[in-house]
Amino acid sequence: MANSLRAEVVQLYKTLLFLGREYPKGADYFRDRLRAAFAKNKDVSDPEKIKELISRGEFVVKELEALYYLRKYRALKKRYY
Amino acid sequence: MAARIIARCVRSLNHRAVYSNRINTAATLTAAPLTHGRTFSYLTTGHKSPLAQISSSSFQVLQWRQYGDLPPLTLETIHDRVLYVLKLYDKISPEKLQATSHFMKDLGLDSLDQVEIIMAMEDEFGFEIPDAEAEKLMTPQEIVQYIADKKDVYE
Repeated sequence: MANSLRAEVVQLYKTLLFLGREYPKGADYFRDRLRAAFAKNKDVSDPEKIKELISRGEFVVKELEALYYLRKYRALKKRYY
Repeated sequence: MAARIIARCVRSLNHRAVYSNRINTAATLTAAPLTHGRTFSYLTTGHKSPLAQISSSSFQVLQWRQYGDLPPLTLETIHDRVLYVLKLYDKISPEKLQATSHFMKDLGLDSLDQVEIIMAMEDEFGFEIPDAEAEKLMTPQEIVQYIADKKDVYE
């Protein structure tokens, strides 16, 4: 199977796991959900489909970053007023 | 406590000098904070009786400083730390864990677990393991060997 795709998936998993450490509901909660999401698609072998799923994962990464920025912004703002 | 002892030393010095020279006492006083900081670092490193040394030799400045340091890495300490991290991982039962047990075949983990283990090792030893090499690390023994190679630890 495409090995470059495997590396990409592993990289995505690592990134998400790293970001999930600061998840508001707790790192364990996030890790379980993340693992379930990856395990659900473990039998997908079509490269196009895998690419689509990877791009969805990258979207989640962006969402998480946005969430953290928003949290930071709110925390700062709360201290001003 | 250290501050009190230092203050006592300074006071006894002052008595001995009987204010013969005001500049001299001022000099000792300005030197006091410096030695103060030193004693503190002695205390935190936990070496025995640095205070006695200082008060007996009365402000003879010792040029000795300890930096934050880990005990040197040996194959045994790496081995112990690797196994310790693995035991803390919740999907591995500590009884089944051997240095030679394969993560997937013997311990029943999947590739995602293996990625998590490698990330835990990166955190423990403070350096990054590239993906291409991380994929090959499948037993605790291999991880120990890899870390020893990267950290220049030999028998």
